[in-house]
Amino acid sequence: MRAIRFSFIHMLRFVRKDMMLLAAGLSPFLIGIAMHLGIPFIDRQLTLFTGLQNVMVPYFGLFDILYTAITPVMFCFVAAMVMLEEHDDHIDRYLFITELGRGGYFVSRLMIPGIIAFLVTLILLPIFGLSKLSAVDILFLSLTGTLQGIVITLLVVSLSTNKLEGMALTKMSSLIMLGAIAPYFIPRPYGYLLSFMPSFWTGMMITENSPMFVIPAIIVSAVWMYILWKRFETKIR
Amino acid sequence: MSSLGLASDRVSTTYKTKNIFFGRFMKLLIWDMRFQMRYGFYLLYTFLTIFYVLVLTALPEAWKGKTAAILIFSDPAAMGLFFMGAIVLLEKSQRVTSYFAVSPVKAFEYVCSKVLSLSAIALIVAGILSKASGCGLLVPALSGTLLASVMFTLFGVIVATKIISLNQFILFTVPVEMFGFIPAIMHLLGVTPSIFRIYPANACMELIGGMGISVVGIFLTIVLIVVLFVIACRCVFKMWQEQGGVKI
Repeated sequence: MRAIRFSFIHMLRFVRKDMMLLAAGLSPFLIGIAMHLGIPFIDRQLTLFTGLQNVMVPYFGLFDILYTAITPVMFCFVAAMVMLEEHDDHIDRYLFITELGRGGYFVSRLMIPGIIAFLVTLILLPIFGLSKLSAVDILFLSLTGTLQGIVITLLVVSLSTNKLEGMALTKMSSLIMLGAIAPYFIPRPYGYLLSFMPSFWTGMMITENSPMFVIPAIIVSAVWMYILWKRFETKIR
Repeated sequence: MSSLGLASDRVSTTYKTKNIFFGRFMKLLIWDMRFQMRYGFYLLYTFLTIFYVLVLTALPEAWKGKTAAILIFSDPAAMGLFFMGAIVLLEKSQRVTSYFAVSPVKAFEYVCSKVLSLSAIALIVAGILSKASGCGLLVPALSGTLLASVMFTLFGVIVATKIISLNQFILFTVPVEMFGFIPAIMHLLGVTPSIFRIYPANACMELIGGMGISVVGIFLTIVLIVVLFVIACRCVFKMWQEQGGVKI
């Protein structure tokens, strides 16, 4: 536990030097403010422009889903970049043979940022959320968003061999967040083609107004995490 | 006779120098493209192009042109800004830049190679997306993509030579993205007054979106590119001199 704590603090010091800690800490607030004020404003402008009522209101839930996805991704993305740097500089293999070990490294670089992201999302979603969400919805959205953030980070660090491939994969893997759009826009039998994305089930949870869809969201995330963790273990062996 | 001989020697030397320069630059360009292929740029943009084409196909006809313009401007045209930090940092960690420092390669050749190799991908993707949207003319769209790509890649090179980590690069490129993307997208949506046509990002967006050509805007874009090119070459030269923490 002591080694994990030191390893996490070491990462914090590393990102603090780049000002990225400040940016990652501030961005959920800035995105939240922009969304909370900007989207209703755009909705009002569209109403004036098109004459239609509530053009964007049916999609407020979708904006909330994307917000709960972006906040954990910001936190986990910072950790992923640090992991890529450590891999390229051959620091990670030295850390694995210390008291920290592979498991401890994973906890300090992925689990702790994930837990912090979960707590931050849990606090900020009721403040900046656009749609009326119950306490259960807020809890489950924060949970699925965090799991998705960890999946994206694992995708980047397990499939890339250096920071350049990591950046390419970051771009690619962020498309996973778009699975939430499917229940809103793609007719049902075809929408299930995206059911391998955890965000698809999060979208289902809101569109169907059924918290039960959190179960497939967790299962799909767990399968992704298991496969990617195995791949990551092979890579660092 | 002897003066004629000297003149012909001089011509032959100039010709050889040009050949050496061209050969070296072409090798640099080919290796940059192989480097990008090796690290999945072409594969990534194949997937992204398919995804973007699917998105464009699913959109109503009226939205296609503007969406394609935003996609082209914010992704393939700006890819140099997104990837340059990782490219330069990887080269640094593999000590490639140290070899460049002691090789006959010039900083401007290095910058040109980076700009042209990334612009080639941007042009291919932009061409496909422009065709898929079915709106506007291809030549202006490709010209706008080329100008935007060169501009963003040069910004990327300048920032990449100053940073020591990926997180730092991402953070430092945020202002460039803000001043590059937001005015251009607002201009495309017709929110900004016509005087802003002279803003380089807006001039590029006009070309990509098939909104017309602002001669002053394009002139200012070219001036900005020249200025950025000079700064980028100086930054690269300085970075090469500081390899290993000491000045060579």
